[in-house]
Amino acid sequence: MKWSWLVVAALLLLYPFVLTGAFYERMGADLLLAAIAASAWNIVGGYAGQISVGHAVFFGAGAYAPLLLYTQWQLPPVFGVPLGMLVSILIAIIIGMPTFRLQGHYFSMATIAVAELVRIVVGNWDFVGAAIGMMGPAVPRTVLDLSFRSSIPYYYIFLAVLALILGLTHFLSRGRMGYYWRAIRAGERAARSLGVPVRRYKLYALMLSAAFTSLAGSLYALMIGFVDPESGFGILVSVEMIITAALGGVGTLLGPLLGAAILVPLKMATNSLFGGGGSGLTYILYGGIILVLARFEPGGLLELWRRVAARATRRKPVTHAA
Amino acid sequence: MILLQVIVGGLLLGAVYALFSSGLTLIWGMMNVINFAHGEFVMIGMYVAFVVVTYLHGGPLAFSASAAIVLFLLGVVVYLGLIRHIIRGPMIAQILSTFGLALLLRYSAFWIFSANFKTLPDDTIPGTLNLGGILLGMPQLVAGAVALALTIGMHLVLTRTGVGSRLLAVAEDRQAAMLMGIRPDRMQALAWGLSAASAGIAGALVATFYPTSPGVGEVFAVTAFVVVTFGGFGSVPGAMIAGLLIGLIQSLSAYYLGPVYKDIVVYGLFVLILWVRPQGLMGKVAG
Amino acid sequence: MLLEAQSVSRAFGSFMALSNADLSVDEGEIIGLIGPNGAGKSTFFNCLVGDLVPTSGRVVFAEIDVTNASPEAHARLGIGRTFQVPATFEEMTILENVMVGAFLRHPNRHDAREKAREIVAFVGLGGQADQPARSLGTPGRKRLEIARVLASEPRLILLDEALAGLTPVEIQTAIELVRRIHQRGVTLVIVEHIMEVILSLTQRVLVFNQGHTVASGSPSDVVNDPAVIEAYLGRRREKRRRA
Repeated sequence: MKWSWLVVAALLLLYPFVLTGAFYERMGADLLLAAIAASAWNIVGGYAGQISVGHAVFFGAGAYAPLLLYTQWQLPPVFGVPLGMLVSILIAIIIGMPTFRLQGHYFSMATIAVAELVRIVVGNWDFVGAAIGMMGPAVPRTVLDLSFRSSIPYYYIFLAVLALILGLTHFLSRGRMGYYWRAIRAGERAARSLGVPVRRYKLYALMLSAAFTSLAGSLYALMIGFVDPESGFGILVSVEMIITAALGGVGTLLGPLLGAAILVPLKMATNSLFGGGGSGLTYILYGGIILVLARFEPGGLLELWRRVAARATRRKPVTHAA
Repeated sequence: MILLQVIVGGLLLGAVYALFSSGLTLIWGMMNVINFAHGEFVMIGMYVAFVVVTYLHGGPLAFSASAAIVLFLLGVVVYLGLIRHIIRGPMIAQILSTFGLALLLRYSAFWIFSANFKTLPDDTIPGTLNLGGILLGMPQLVAGAVALALTIGMHLVLTRTGVGSRLLAVAEDRQAAMLMGIRPDRMQALAWGLSAASAGIAGALVATFYPTSPGVGEVFAVTAFVVVTFGGFGSVPGAMIAGLLIGLIQSLSAYYLGPVYKDIVVYGLFVLILWVRPQGLMGKVAG
Repeated sequence: MLLEAQSVSRAFGSFMALSNADLSVDEGEIIGLIGPNGAGKSTFFNCLVGDLVPTSGRVVFAEIDVTNASPEAHARLGIGRTFQVPATFEEMTILENVMVGAFLRHPNRHDAREKAREIVAFVGLGGQADQPARSLGTPGRKRLEIARVLASEPRLILLDEALAGLTPVEIQTAIELVRRIHQRGVTLVIVEHIMEVILSLTQRVLVFNQGHTVASGSPSDVVNDPAVIEAYLGRRREKRRRA
């Protein structure tokens, strides 16, 4: 247990007591939700090195399932969480089975194509709300509807889920699964020669990632109470996940959380400064950030920090002598 | 009769798909990089055409040539400034670099031109051709014919000229090419220029009958992915045939099933191809 | 017989890179594969390790037909291989690299780590176990690759020019290591250019030229075989004749 984790955990637990008010509470919940989604993407994109650019398909499935159950059958939306995860895992298998025996580009192309396919289908299918989308309970019927006025209950639910996903990721990364994922990312051909069942482990990563991304989508739907094809399956949803994970550091445990901690407040700031026009600039900025990261520091800020820190500690003996 | 019109219309659009997809597959075959910003190159070609027609009052030749030149330069710049540096790096850098570029270009276009659809004036390429009862709009006809010619031209340049064989040599075996005195860096920059130019011209051609908007790149990109996979890794002739077929399938799907289905069928076909025959028509998988 | 190749051929289009190559390796042997570049020994090597599927012929390991088996299946059956250009996992530490190999037979993390430590010490990288693989030079990387495959407990290891590019001193150390590996009971098939290595390590040598096996026998026999001399020098003589 690194003490830095305890510090982070303490900060997160105490945040709503330190920064109070609806604005900060909402920002906290958004931050955690972004961290959950990015951490989910990180499992397959960061640890296993398979870059999905259409991860929104899992998020959207997770967002639609609860609201569908409510809209069509008046069930508590939370019952839709496992349904969303199941659908997402199925989609993961459909995408992953054929492409994981091929080179990485096929997988990436497939993710974007399937995400678009699902977005168009959902956008034209009345049963799931077509272009209008679907809504959750306007007034909560029981506590099971998980419809709260304040952001604080959501904040702590999200925090628990984040702890779950990070805990599971950490646990897996220390065992054979994690080592095999990293080997696949570092050198597939060599991994194969050592008996690593590459295709199967890529699938495990994708299925796990899909399930958690779906969970993130469900949490989103529970909090916001509305989803439509664009907010569920749109490319910007995929972009947010990628940039959040990449900025903090792909393949690291806390990278996505760090990315969320930077980007969510940043986005809220640009939105309030530039209003509607801000969102156009935001995505130009996102594109630029992704480009710069890819070109100069694919490992993200945590990797940058590690390199700087390593160089600093190496220089110490020299300064002492002087 | 209508069916014939649908078929020809689909093939004409398919020829445009073939053109820009050839550029994408050329890069893929040469450097094992999928340019996620390729759709945006087409989009920029469309906007160049729009700007040349609207503000400079240029004709088809002017805006096509402009698109070709602008995109060629952009392709070279992108290679020199970005691609060259990520090509030997981790997969994440490779994919995210062009993906980031796509976002940058797309949202810059949103910012500069706004989200409104723009169309070129109807009289840019005027007229309709009546071919024994089939009505073909001149813009579509010209676009399809020129696209087909250019795609065939690209294939001929690659296989019949000195420059082309040098490009293919680098694609085949970089080390061996270097030993033969070919400069891979230069060839790769050239390939990027050609690839971008093919996308740009395709965009300029298509702008005459397809509404221009900043988000249009996404659809073209996924179409290009389907075409290059269907055609086979690195194969320009494959991309040509696959492009025509995809255009045809799209058109027939719209006709028989409804306009909504034109993309659904193509994307669904993509998944099917991946499951059943990822090496595509020409029989090669990457790697 | 541990490994047997029967009449293995491999064509690339119309080009016959390998024709009817035979090989039989008994448990505990050290076999060498030599020949000029482009002679087919790499193609043969790739057919043996599962990177290429032969156009015709069979490869049998411990009485199991592995002709069409994947590289992963090869490893599970006990066939290990190294790469001509070391393919170590750069971003992982030396110990972690070897653990990936160890996990094949030891799914438990602690067992894998113990096995890996033992192997890392055995190859002489014990002091650097926690350093990243990318901090190693080429000789170190080659040693790491050997450690990594050794951790997967293979019965047979195929070494692909594992000693290329090493200084004479490094070559001696490497030969020592290969001997020690052999003493552990691992059968070895070595592709090599360096005659000294072939002569000092191998018991039997198979010589390739233009896709065919042109000679086989003990190293000293093969080195004096006119067909072998022809294979290596023939091209030079051909060039002189033309000039």
